[in-house]
Amino acid sequence: MLLKRLLIILPLLFITGLLQSFLWVPTYDKQATGNPERLRTYVEASIGDAKILNPILNADTASSGIVALVFDGLLDLDENLNLRGRLANDWQVAEEAYLLARPGMRLPNGSTANGEELIRQIRLALDSGNLPEIKKNLREMRVLPPATHTVKIALPEKSTGERPPKIREMEITIRRPERIAFSLREVDQDFFTRLKPVVGQGYFDNFPYEQYLVAPRVPQRLETLRSRLAQVLPVGEHNPVILFHLRPGVRFHDGHEFDAGDVKFTYDAVMNPKNLSPRTSDFEPIKEIQIVDRHTVRVIYKRLYSPAIYSWTIGILPQHLLNDQALQKEMEGRDLSAEARAVFGMRDSEFNRRPIGTGPFRFAEWQTDEFIHLTRNDAYWEGAPEYADYFFRIIPDLLTQEVEFRTGAIDFYGALPHQVTRYKKDEAYQSFSSLGFGYTYIGYNNRKPLFADPRVRRALGMAINVDEIIKYLLYGEGKQVTGPFPQNTEWYNPEVQPLPYDPEGARRMLEALGWKTNTEGWLEKDGKVFEFNLITNSGNPVRKNIMTIVQNAWKKIGIKCNTQYFEWAVFLKDFINTASFDATVLGWSMGIDPDIYQIFHSSQSGPQQLNFVGYNNPVADELILRIRKEYSRDRQRQLTHELHRVIADDQPYTFLFVGLSTRVLDKKIVIVERAPDGKERYVKIYPTKGGNITYYFNKWRKLEFTPDF
Amino acid sequence: MLSFLTRSLVQRLFLLVIISVIAHSVVHLAPGEPSQVDPSNPRMKPEDIARIRAAFHLDAPLYLQYAYWLRDLFSGELKSFKDSQPVLPKIARRFLNSLPLFLCATLIVWSLSFPTGIHAALRRGSLYDRTTTFTAYTLISIPGFFLSYLAILWVVDTFNVPVIGMKTFGMENAQPAYRWMDRVWHLVVPSLMSAVGGIAILSRYVRS
Repeated sequence: MLLKRLLIILPLLFITGLLQSFLWVPTYDKQATGNPERLRTYVEASIGDAKILNPILNADTASSGIVALVFDGLLDLDENLNLRGRLANDWQVAEEAYLLARPGMRLPNGSTANGEELIRQIRLALDSGNLPEIKKNLREMRVLPPATHTVKIALPEKSTGERPPKIREMEITIRRPERIAFSLREVDQDFFTRLKPVVGQGYFDNFPYEQYLVAPRVPQRLETLRSRLAQVLPVGEHNPVILFHLRPGVRFHDGHEFDAGDVKFTYDAVMNPKNLSPRTSDFEPIKEIQIVDRHTVRVIYKRLYSPAIYSWTIGILPQHLLNDQALQKEMEGRDLSAEARAVFGMRDSEFNRRPIGTGPFRFAEWQTDEFIHLTRNDAYWEGAPEYADYFFRIIPDLLTQEVEFRTGAIDFYGALPHQVTRYKKDEAYQSFSSLGFGYTYIGYNNRKPLFADPRVRRALGMAINVDEIIKYLLYGEGKQVTGPFPQNTEWYNPEVQPLPYDPEGARRMLEALGWKTNTEGWLEKDGKVFEFNLITNSGNPVRKNIMTIVQNAWKKIGIKCNTQYFEWAVFLKDFINTASFDATVLGWSMGIDPDIYQIFHSSQSGPQQLNFVGYNNPVADELILRIRKEYSRDRQRQLTHELHRVIADDQPYTFLFVGLSTRVLDKKIVIVERAPDGKERYVKIYPTKGGNITYYFNKWRKLEFTPDF
Repeated sequence: MLSFLTRSLVQRLFLLVIISVIAHSVVHLAPGEPSQVDPSNPRMKPEDIARIRAAFHLDAPLYLQYAYWLRDLFSGELKSFKDSQPVLPKIARRFLNSLPLFLCATLIVWSLSFPTGIHAALRRGSLYDRTTTFTAYTLISIPGFFLSYLAILWVVDTFNVPVIGMKTFGMENAQPAYRWMDRVWHLVVPSLMSAVGGIAILSRYVRS
C-alpha cells in the first residue's frame, strides 16, 4: 500500500516542484524580482544581425543603430532637427571666393582687368557705397600671383557608331593668371553676380582657357574641354569653409584622447578607394581638410553645397587604432594567406567586430546571430548614461519578439499597423506614433504625351481618395502628403492644400481638355481611349493594393488602367532605369536636408537616374539649385516652401501618404532628470520634432513601479 | 534480453546510416551549392570559388564526399559552414539542452499515464472513461507544434512570464536561487507540451 501511495505522491511532488518555479520567474510587472540589475539594462530586438560596426563602412540599420551608441559625430541633430555640436563644441561657416583676372579684357571703365586694377575698382565701388551687401560681408581681399595647375579631367572619347563613348582620363596643365582671393564672413551664392556692375556683365563668360594651356599644347575638341575646365577652374569660384572647434578632453574608450587628427583620418578613410566606403559621395564636395591646431579643423569645400555639413554627423574613428601602422601590425599578428595580406585593409580589420569610439556606450561582446552587448561609458563627456548595459538581441521572428516583449524580456517593440490600436489602448505599455521620413506616390512618366499636361495629372490625382487608402490599407496609420519634402521637417510647406477628392470634377477637367466618353464608357480623344499601364515592384503588399484601389477609382471616371507588378531587379532594369513605363507606384525615403536635386532636377532624368518620371520645369530647376547653394536656413526654408508649391502645382507625382510608425515601450521606462542636489525627477518619454523617441536615451531608466504621469 | 538489445542497437545503427545517406543526397539534390556562399559579394572572384570548391572537395564524386564527411565527423574535423566552429561540440551542447527536457517529459508521461489509464480501465464506459478517451484522441490528432504555439501564447498572455529559450534573457546576474528556478520554469511548458502526446498514447495502452 505504501508503495502504491508513493507511486502516486512522488510524481505529484515532482510536478508540483516543476510548477512552483513559476513563482520565482520575473513577470512583466515584476522584472526586478531577484534581479535588480534588470532595471539598469535595456534590451532591444532586431530581426537581423549587424554586419559591420564601423561608421564609415556600415550601410544597414542594425549596424548603424549600434554605431550611433558607440561613436560620436562632430555634429548631430537636436530636438528641432537643427544641427548641434557633439565632438565639435562650436563651428562657423564662412567662404573664400576666388576671381580670375582677365588681362586680355577691359573693365567697364576701360582699364585692363589685371589683379591690381580689379582690387582698385572693387575698393572704389565699396567706398562709394555701391556694393552694400559685399561691404558688409567682406573681411579682406588680396591678389594671388599666377600659378600652374595640373588637373585630371575625364572626357568621353569621340563616339563611334552606336556604342557609348569611352571615358578617357586626361591630364591637363594650365598656367592660370592672377587671382583675387576674397575672404567672406558668410557664404553668398550671389557674390559674383553682385560684382558684375564693377567687372562687367560679360566677365564670367567665354574665358579663353586655350590661351593658358601648357599641356596638351594643341587641344582637340576644344568646346568640350572648355566646358569641363570651366567647372574645374571657374572664373568665379566659391569655396565654403567650415571651421570646427573640437571638444577638448574627450577620450576614446581605450583612453586615447580624441583630437583633430582623428577627424582628418576619418575623412581620409572615407575617401580611400580601398575601403569601398558607401559614404564617399557625401564627402566628395570636400576640397581639403586642414588641421589648424589640436582642437581646430578647417574644412574647405570645392563648391557651394550646403547639405554637405550633415555628413559630419558621421562617427569619428580612432586614428591610432586604424592607421596604416596599426593595420600593418594587426595583419602581421594574424594568420593570413598571402592573398589576404595583399588586400588587407580597414574592411578586414577586427576593429569592425569590436569597435572603439567616443560614444556613451562601449562595446562589450558580439555573439553572432544572438546578441550584441554594450556597457556604459562612465567617462562619457556629456555624463554617463543611466543604463549600465545595452543588449541588442537578434530575433528574426516578429511573433517571438512580441512574445518576449510582453513578458518583459525585451523593452521595445515596433508594432505592425494592424496591432497599433490594440497597443494604444493597452494601459500596460506606452506607445508613440511618429511620421517617417518617406512617402508613397504615383509617378507619371511626364515625357509621355498622355501625361504631359499637368492638368491631366491633376485630374488623375483628384479621382483618388487618399483618406480611404490610409484608412483601409494602413489602418489609419498614415498622413496625406502634398509635396516632395518630409512632412516633419521645416522644408515641408504646410500651407499647400492636398488635391480635393472630386471624381466628378476630374472628369469635367478631362472633358474640358477634349476627352469624350465613348459608347463603352471610356474616355476617348482622337479615336484613342485613355489607357495606360500602372506598375510596381512585387513583395510590397501596400503598393499592390494601392494599384487595385486606384485602378478602380480611375475606372469610375472612364480611365482604363492595367496593372502589373515585377520582381525588383526586373522592375528597375526594364522599366524604371530606361523610363519605359507609363505610371508607377513607388516610395522615397528622404534625408533630413532640403536637397531634392537628384529626384526632381531636369538634368537628372537620364537613364539610371532618379528623376525617372522626367519632371522638367525651369522654375523648379532654378529653385532646386538655389536651395543646395543656400547656407542660410531661413532663406532655404522660403525657397523650399516655394519649390513645394511649384511641384504641387505641376503634380509630376500624385503624392499619397507618409506612414506612421508606432513604437511600444515598457511603461516603467522614464527619463530621469537629476537635480543638482542629486534628487531624481521622472519625466514621461516624449518624441522630438522629427519623431525620435530615443533622443534622451542616455537619461532613460526602468523603474521598479509604473509611474503616474 | 541481451540479444534483443544488440539486435535493436544494430538495427538503430543501420537506420542512422541510411538516414545520413538520404540526408546527404537530399542536400545535394537541392538547387544551389555551398560554393555560392556569397553570390552578391563583388569581391568574390572565380579563383576564390575554385579555392572553396577544392577545400570542401566539392569536385569529388558524391560517394567520396560522403566518405570525407564521415571521416571528418568522427575525427572531429567537421566544421560548421556558418561560423567555422567544430560540429561535434555543437551537437553535444544541443544534446545536453535536450536531455533534461527529455527526462522531465518521460517522468511526467509515466507518472500520469498509469493512474489515468488504470482509472479508466477500472471504470470502462463511465463518463470519466469517455472523457479521457475523447481528450486523448483529440490530443493525438492535434499536431504538437501547433498546440505548443497556442500554449506559449496562452501562458504569455495570461501570466506575462517569459517561456521562450533556456532561460530569461538578462538573468545572468540574478541571485542563484532565482536563476535556477528560472531555468526550471523554462523546462515546464516544453516538457508538459512534449508529455501531452505521450500521456495520450500511453494512457490508452494502459487502459487496454
